[in-house]
Formats: sequence, C-alpha cells, structure tokens
Amino acid sequence: MGTLKINGKEETFADDKTPVTIADLLQELGVDAATVVAELDGQIVEKANFSDMSLHDGQRIELIRFVPGG
Amino acid sequence: MAAIAEKLSRSVVGIAGLGGLGSNVAIALARAGVGKLIIADFDKVEQSNLNRQQYFVEQTGKSKVECMIENLRRVNPAVKVTGHRVKLDVDNIPQIFAATDCIAECFDTAGAKQMIVETALTKMNGVRIVSVSGLAGYGRSNDIKTRRISSRLVLVGDGQRGVDTCKILTAARVGVAAMHQANAILELLIDEIKP
Repeated sequence: MGTLKINGKEETFADDKTPVTIADLLQELGVDAATVVAELDGQIVEKANFSDMSLHDGQRIELIRFVPGG
Repeated sequence: MAAIAEKLSRSVVGIAGLGGLGSNVAIALARAGVGKLIIADFDKVEQSNLNRQQYFVEQTGKSKVECMIENLRRVNPAVKVTGHRVKLDVDNIPQIFAATDCIAECFDTAGAKQMIVETALTKMNGVRIVSVSGLAGYGRSNDIKTRRISSRLVLVGDGQRGVDTCKILTAARVGVAAMHQANAILELLIDEIKP
C-alpha cells in the first residue's frame, strides 16, 4: 500500500495500483500530461521527465491542470 | 501612495499573448502605472475577437502587437511598451521576458499554458508568473479564484471551465479572470521583492 498527498489530499493506493511514476499517476487519473505542470515535494518536474520520475510513499505532489481559453 | 506609484513605475511586466486575457491585463496595468510592458503575440485582430478583446472595429486585419501599442499609448503614454510579433516558445521566452519582474500567461491552448509556466519556472531565475486556467462560459463569477501555488506561481481561474467544454468565451467572464490576473500582478509588484 502506498500513500501520496495529491493537491493537498491524501490518496491511498493498493499495492498493485500504486503509480510508479508521474506519468503512471496521470494515466490513472485520466489526465493528459501535455496540460499539466507538476511539483513533487515543492520541486518542479519537467513534463519530459514525467515517465522517469519515480514516486515514493509519503510524497507530496501538486498537479496544476490547464484548460483552454484566454 | 507615492511609494506605490514609484514601485510600479520601476516595474516591468511581460504579457504573453494579447487575446481576451492579455489585451485586458495590458490595459489595466498601463492604467495602474506599471513602467514598462513587454508584449508578445503572433496574431492579427479578427472580427471574432471583438466580443471580448480590447481592440476596435477599424483595427481588424492588423497585428495585435501593433494595435495594442497604439491603444496603450492612448490609455497612458507614460508607459514604455516593447512589442514582439512572434510565436512564443521554449527557446525565445527566456530571452524576450528576461528583464521582467513578472509574466502574465495569457495564452489560449492548454498546451501553450503548460509550456510557458514550465519554462518560466525551470529556465528563468526568479521571474514570477501569473497563469489562468478556467474562464470560459458566463456567470459563476465567484468560482474564479486567485491561488498562490508557490513563491513564483499564482494561478487564477475556476480550474474547470475550458472553452472545449463550455464552447463560449464572454467579455464578462474572461474580464473577471483578466482582472484577477492584473490584480495579482499588482500585489506581487507592490508587496514583494523578486525572489
């Protein structure tokens, strides 16, 4: 079992469902990675590194989602 | 009062995109007395823009940068304006906006918004960015919030209502978001030293 704090909310994942990377997490949430700025424990993670950046139990992740219009 | 005016007159703000957000933010900051604006957009004024953007009928067909320089001069000739008629990207954003205290993200597509926020936060030292997500439709004024994400990022909008799902953009609701954005920028310029 793993826990991540996503946008301020604690989310608990079953062992086989715990996302390994930011890309996995976004896929699980059904969010298009091209529209997201991610901050992991206060550090910006570039979109290009979403598939390489491993997530660990207890981390804090902020996902800033953009919708079109301006 | 004089101290605030002095701070604003020494401030430089970048406006990335001159559509519904950017044209309104630029005019609000010019009226407030921000010393210098660096504005950028590749597009021309179209008839369909006039329902929410700060241009005039006789300006259709002309470059937005050129028209906004003219409109800003009529609003407040004391403001220095530098215009860039380019498509902003990962490579030119750090150069064009290097001298700014703060950038207003005023793009329309979600991908472009993502691109400039990531670029500003990872490739530019100390610059702050005020971005907008969720301003389409009408009504629900109070769903539009200003949120401080980090020392360098402020996010405006309801986070939900995109033009993809709501279909329409109105002068009123885009205007609410644009004034949140301009107001957040004034707060940063007046109250905080660039990190």
